[in-house]
Amino acid sequence: MLYSARNLKKTYNGRTVLDIPELSIEKEKIYALLGPNGSGKTTLLHILSFILPPSTGTIFYNDKPVQFLEKALQQLRKEVVLVDQHPILFSTSVHKNVEFGLKMRDIAKKDRRRITEESLDLVGMRDFEWAAAAHLSGGETQRVAIARALACRPKVILFDEPTASVDVENQIAIENIIQSIHRERKISVIVCTHNMLQASKLAEETLFLFEGRPTSSIYENIFGGKVIMKGGRSYCAIDDKVLIPVKTDQTGFIKISIHPKSIKFASSPKNDASSVFYDGRISQLSEEKGWIRILVNIGIPLSVFMKKKEFDLFGTGIGQNVTVKCSDYGVEIIGSETMPG
Amino acid sequence: MDFFVDSFLSSLILIRTVDPALLNIVYVSLKVSLLSTLIAGAVGIPFGFVVAVTEFAGKRAVITLLNTLLALPTVVIGLFVYMFISRRGIFGVFDLLYTQKAMIIGQVILIVPVVTTFTITAISRIDTRYRRTAMTLGADRIQTAMVILREARFGIVASVVAAFGRVISEVGISMMLGGNAKGFTRTMTTAMALEYDKGEFVLAVALGIILMSISLVMNILLNYFQGRTAV
Repeated sequence: MLYSARNLKKTYNGRTVLDIPELSIEKEKIYALLGPNGSGKTTLLHILSFILPPSTGTIFYNDKPVQFLEKALQQLRKEVVLVDQHPILFSTSVHKNVEFGLKMRDIAKKDRRRITEESLDLVGMRDFEWAAAAHLSGGETQRVAIARALACRPKVILFDEPTASVDVENQIAIENIIQSIHRERKISVIVCTHNMLQASKLAEETLFLFEGRPTSSIYENIFGGKVIMKGGRSYCAIDDKVLIPVKTDQTGFIKISIHPKSIKFASSPKNDASSVFYDGRISQLSEEKGWIRILVNIGIPLSVFMKKKEFDLFGTGIGQNVTVKCSDYGVEIIGSETMPG
Repeated sequence: MDFFVDSFLSSLILIRTVDPALLNIVYVSLKVSLLSTLIAGAVGIPFGFVVAVTEFAGKRAVITLLNTLLALPTVVIGLFVYMFISRRGIFGVFDLLYTQKAMIIGQVILIVPVVTTFTITAISRIDTRYRRTAMTLGADRIQTAMVILREARFGIVASVVAAFGRVISEVGISMMLGGNAKGFTRTMTTAMALEYDKGEFVLAVALGIILMSISLVMNILLNYFQGRTAV
């Protein structure tokens, strides 16, 4: 096992931002760490890269417990490199940036030159070797940061939202680089992202985080609203305009997640004991491994996930009006919110 | 008006002829000021770095104290150091009074707060990602510190330039601890004060021109480095 952890917690000023009872990450695989903003992904990545100590709990790296002491961590950091969401390059040349990790590892000058050139070749930035790092674009900076990490010959690379701030062209290039370094160099990769599509494209395994805790699947369609009773059943009133059926005895404000696979298209709207129908308009479509993700605006943006065959039956497309059915069994209460105001 | 123009022209001639007395005064000034700046840099830069990067109880109090010391009058430092190094003082046995060493001690006290506070500001402005990046790439604590210092280099150099500008133009410490002894502790500022007392303006104006030229060069350097920091 590359990483395993027990009762991992990180707190800031008494607030728990990460609470992971158990974690296992295997060697030589690409893992995606999925979760919405603020779910603790970056904190976990900093702990796994030995930059940040956990508040409590134990981490095992290569089945050995990690001692969060500077001397021991320095050795571990020589095997694990983190590439930040918005990487920063030292204010010198691209060459010196990529060479930095090699200098820290006391690599001979001749070898440093060769490895630096190879690393820049791999990310398609060789032509920029002697350029000033400060003059690069966001995408180029991200690629040089990857080259700088690769030059260290790590066993593990951790990417924090690697394509969050780059254009589509660089996004594709970076995804290809991640796949090729894993394939060719057998480097274990953990990619932290909030993009489901990217996770499904890159990763062999996926870990989901929500509000600092691991979950079995990613929570999508997260909304907050007030519980109201109408016609003898409970609803979560979102923005006072959309009523989503929920099974709850709670009152006040709750946070719900509507499972995208539980939402269905309906041809003949007929309310029943557990379902409610909504009229909406398709605003976005994408394909993910034989599944279709449809974004339907019903007053709130609702993500619907269905098999391609099922979607084809309705013969619909972007801009079309549809009726969707939402059932209370597909709605999970994931938290209570403090009453606003 | 004639008096001013005459003094000014005579002083230019004095500078042009490279008068040995004038040269000696400039030499003593530069030597004492450079040494003071060097020592203050060696003390103030590491001190400022430690204060900037570490969290400890009373950090704000230390920064407030340093900011207060920026406004310390030179005569107060002169008086304070005099009490220690005069014959009746606890360091009287070292016979430091009215020497260049005494002037350097006073000037170092004057500019250590300048170098330290400017260094704290320069380091605090540095993005925290530099530290994280250096660490994840395998740098140890000293190597990480060097990365941060390197990124803050323009701000730090600006602090040293500002400190030099402060000591080259001060008069209180040089006069009280150096004693304005000709050929030994006479600096540009103390010589100007003496010449003024004597009513001899040619040398005073010549020294003023040189001092202003040095100040101009210092300010050009300071602007250059501060500009680089702002980029």
